[in-house]
Amino acid sequence: MRTRRAGAGLPVRVPNADACPSAQRGRRCTARRRVRTEALGNPLTAVVAAVMCIAACSGSGDHAASSGGAVTKVVGVTLLTREQHFYQDLEAGVKDAAARRGYRLVLTSGDFDLAKQQAQIDNFVVQHVDAIIVCPVNSQGIGPAIDRATAAHIPVVSADTKAVGTHVVAAVASDNRAGGQLAATYMVRALGDSGAVAVIGQPETQTGLDRQQAFVDEIGRHPRMAVVAILNGGGVRDRALKAADDILQGHPELRGIFAINDESALGALAAATTRGKTGATFTIVGYDATPEAVKAIKSHSSLKADVAQQPRDIGERSIDALAAYFDHRPVDSVITVPVRVVDAETP
Amino acid sequence: MSALAGAFFSLGNLLNVALSIAVIGILGVGMTAVILTGGIDLSVGSGVALSGVVAALAAHAVDSGAATGGSPSLLPVVAALGAALAVGAAGGVFTGVAVARLRAPAFLVTLALLSIERGLAFLFSSGQAVSDLPAGFNWLGQGIVFGVPVPVWLTAACFGVGWFVLARTTWGRWIYAVGGNEAAAWLAGIDTRGVTLGTYVANGLLVGLAGAVLTARLGAAVPNAGLGYELDVIAAVVVGGTALTGGRGSVLGTLAGAVCIGTLDNALNLANVDPYLQRVVVGVVILLAVLGERLRHRGRT
Repeated sequence: MRTRRAGAGLPVRVPNADACPSAQRGRRCTARRRVRTEALGNPLTAVVAAVMCIAACSGSGDHAASSGGAVTKVVGVTLLTREQHFYQDLEAGVKDAAARRGYRLVLTSGDFDLAKQQAQIDNFVVQHVDAIIVCPVNSQGIGPAIDRATAAHIPVVSADTKAVGTHVVAAVASDNRAGGQLAATYMVRALGDSGAVAVIGQPETQTGLDRQQAFVDEIGRHPRMAVVAILNGGGVRDRALKAADDILQGHPELRGIFAINDESALGALAAATTRGKTGATFTIVGYDATPEAVKAIKSHSSLKADVAQQPRDIGERSIDALAAYFDHRPVDSVITVPVRVVDAETP
Repeated sequence: MSALAGAFFSLGNLLNVALSIAVIGILGVGMTAVILTGGIDLSVGSGVALSGVVAALAAHAVDSGAATGGSPSLLPVVAALGAALAVGAAGGVFTGVAVARLRAPAFLVTLALLSIERGLAFLFSSGQAVSDLPAGFNWLGQGIVFGVPVPVWLTAACFGVGWFVLARTTWGRWIYAVGGNEAAAWLAGIDTRGVTLGTYVANGLLVGLAGAVLTARLGAAVPNAGLGYELDVIAAVVVGGTALTGGRGSVLGTLAGAVCIGTLDNALNLANVDPYLQRVVVGVVILLAVLGERLRHRGRT
């Protein structure tokens, strides 16, 4: 550290800076500025070193937390995000199942960034983990990274979103099409098989599209029902609120909204409530059954039902699939975790 | 098509459009002033989320302290609104000091703040929505006075005050002067650092207000609220004819820009235009507006 500090050259160059004619008056001496920025090299290195240290420390903390007794296998996990309820539950499922089997986990998150997630998988390969669980940021784009892991003889399991154009040991996922269909079936029953409905979707994601399309297809089988609008709520509450406002404004006859996730459903609920729509006249069906949505359902608002996935099961069954693979037992290449409907009567 | 036009031109829909641009409009007033000084603020979306989350947490903290009384009090409402404004102002002070005192580029400072504030919003809320807010607070977003939603009144007030300050006060002249030519303004005896700092703080207060209004409208503070708002707000300001180089533009132009984009969004939604295509259309309209403005000014000089 000491040698580097000398290398930054501050003591050497100061006379140089003083030689600058405008240095005494002060402000715009480029020589002095250059010296200053170079001197910055030191604190910057220190910051980077500190950050790396923190990362290393917290990383080892994570390992310690998930290692039970004797460590048999190391599993690298890259989640889609750690900021959503669904993936927090999925993570909990992975952790529980891994702890039961004494696997050590290296937990990371792609944070919706494909390049970041690919780098994480490449890191797992370099670390020689025994297996990888990936919740793909993008079903098309993650293929090459998975191929590299497979080439290094590391088994990969995809959890939730499927990976396209590559080979995984097992793809564990909810059946999103079945979920959209269940939502439509509930809507048909709630509205007495007639009336106009709308969808607040998220066409940027495959899961959102699958749910939306299955809902629209099922409603299409009922001649006295119609999907009159499909808008993009972006999967976030404030955008969904705006979309719902416009839908309700443009279609006063509307009797129901299907929202492809609960953030969208709660945005639609806020819009409907502001317009005086209650459970007696309006039906919203959401997706994911987050605690907040379930609370709204139980309070008999116009949000009447949710399609619930079982993210914990997805997490647990991903580890189970790896366990079977390690034991040389047969593994189903597609493992579908069922969805169900939650309404006010569900305990 | 006539049914569509009917739906579009109804009074209800006009209020709907006004309501939908309320948050962007409030942010637009502050952004106009910031851009007039030659700066920019990319952190407004994150600032909206963070101030909303802190407001909701403050309401809960005060509420649980006073919950034993049972009667609804004004205290949680004041605490929530105060917290939102304080968080917004703190962000403004942070940016203002970095830009005016330390001479850091506003683009980079606010880019950093965008990340910091979004992260804090998720940290403070543990990534979850904070709901069950006091009814008095929700009134800010859901209340109706003389047939017009409260957020629309607040937005109108912000535009009124913003217009008055920028067009009719010395402070406003100074903002234009700093953005037009900072060195000349400094030589003319204007406290350019003070003006820049003050502008960012005022903008911060408006971010806090926008955060409170959006949270009240949703009835919950969500940490991922306001994603991408910075671009919507900058679009409204630029479509309204304010120059990104500073020194030229007006709040009324921003109002026109916000109304233009809000109306377009609404019309596309009412017409049930494909969501993918909507983005393209909005982008093209922004481009046309900016190019039109450019041609108009070239003709003038």
